[in-house]
Amino acid sequence: MTGLALATSEFVRQHVRNRVTLVMLVVIPALFVVFAASALGELSKSLGGDVTGSAATSLGAGWASAFLGGILGFFQVSSSRDSDRRLSLAGMGGTRVALARIGACIALSLLAALVAFFVLWADTGIDQPGRALAAILAFGFIYVGIGALVGSLVHDELTGSLIVALVFIMDIYAGPGMSGSSGTAKITPTRKSSEVLMSAVGGAAPSTADWLAVGGTALGALLIAFAAFWFAARPRT
Amino acid sequence: MMDRTLTATRMGLLDQIRRPLLVVMLAVIPIIFITWGAKATPLTPHRLTLPDGTRVLSDTRAIMTVMDVPVAIAFLGGLVGVFVVTAALQSDRRLVVAGYTPTEVIVPRLVVLTLAVLVISVVSLVVMAFTFTPNLWGPFIVGNVLAGLTYAELGALAGALIGRLGAVYLMFFLPNIDIGIAQDPLFFNGDPQAWARGLPGYGPTRMIVESSFAKDFTAVGALLPALAWFVGLTVILVLVLRHEVK
Repeated sequence: MTGLALATSEFVRQHVRNRVTLVMLVVIPALFVVFAASALGELSKSLGGDVTGSAATSLGAGWASAFLGGILGFFQVSSSRDSDRRLSLAGMGGTRVALARIGACIALSLLAALVAFFVLWADTGIDQPGRALAAILAFGFIYVGIGALVGSLVHDELTGSLIVALVFIMDIYAGPGMSGSSGTAKITPTRKSSEVLMSAVGGAAPSTADWLAVGGTALGALLIAFAAFWFAARPRT
Repeated sequence: MMDRTLTATRMGLLDQIRRPLLVVMLAVIPIIFITWGAKATPLTPHRLTLPDGTRVLSDTRAIMTVMDVPVAIAFLGGLVGVFVVTAALQSDRRLVVAGYTPTEVIVPRLVVLTLAVLVISVVSLVVMAFTFTPNLWGPFIVGNVLAGLTYAELGALAGALIGRLGAVYLMFFLPNIDIGIAQDPLFFNGDPQAWARGLPGYGPTRMIVESSFAKDFTAVGALLPALAWFVGLTVILVLVLRHEVK
């Protein structure tokens, strides 16, 4: 357990040892929430989305958490594939390497989600803060899974980053904030997280089914990320 | 000297082209982004104040489509800038040790960046043309290419100075906040807010908006900040890369 905790903290340190990266993880969600808040309500209205006002502006926090989570998951696999394989061969094993990577992703996603959450709270106000934070965090976890999956399948970093961006763009455009809640909006990865976040900001109570859907999607994404980390770190014979 | 620069340029281009999925993604993202944005936007009338003060009646779909083009070009250009430069720095240092001059390794990177932006721009403009036709194609194209080149240089600069990961984070959010929000005429009436006029997207988007909806192009004043950003960033990028490859 100590070894696992040490590896997790080392993976976090590895990610933020460039201080500018750490600053970006903090500053970007904050700036995005503030700027998006002024525009998202209008944009949603222009695009024919079902939501307006503070509910629409809250989506900026989820999106910031999502994209940072996606890039985080992608680079955790992509830039560490060789070293993780060596760690695995050296005795740590693929499962423990994958668990440590997941731990690092959760810690870093939590940081980005907390920044986005507090800025949203200060800027717009949130009726149900605990639920909103959980929803923002779910955005991050879902995209950690997407990013890690892309990272395990695509080795080229530019191509992989573009694929994560493409998924993100399609998710946003098809999501309930932009295209309404019918058709393609029903199959986007963050649809339920968006609905829970908007209802938490607006004061409505999400149903148990919504919470189960959000939790199930986030957990499923983290399991996919675990499989992707394990696949990338597994020793070859 | 010319032969070595041409060889390095050819190798740099081959390096990009031999990754077919990358080429596909550079084409697919503008297609989906611009087409989906246009399809999702209703045809709601929207009164627009052009940079020369003229008021015209347009619609939200047209404005959304027009603004999605520079967002896509700048976003993709910025990411390409990050990866072209960070992937090449190590090998460029070795080339300099082996006898290449800094100019001989920097020029090919700038050529690759420029060609990538031109390819992304052509795809984006062709996709847009199915939905919207600007009144004046010339300044519209110049504005979009300038937006792409400026952000490609910003991406390259960020990659060289702050590393790949931080630069990717930055280049995702900066074009979206600048061109996608701060300069988008859907969100203001007339000129953007004062702080937004200092951003790199201000000049190009003013050119794009005026050439899309005006009968005559009078926003020559917008060309100056656009060129100032482009030339200034080119000089800074060349100086930084010279320092990095030595």
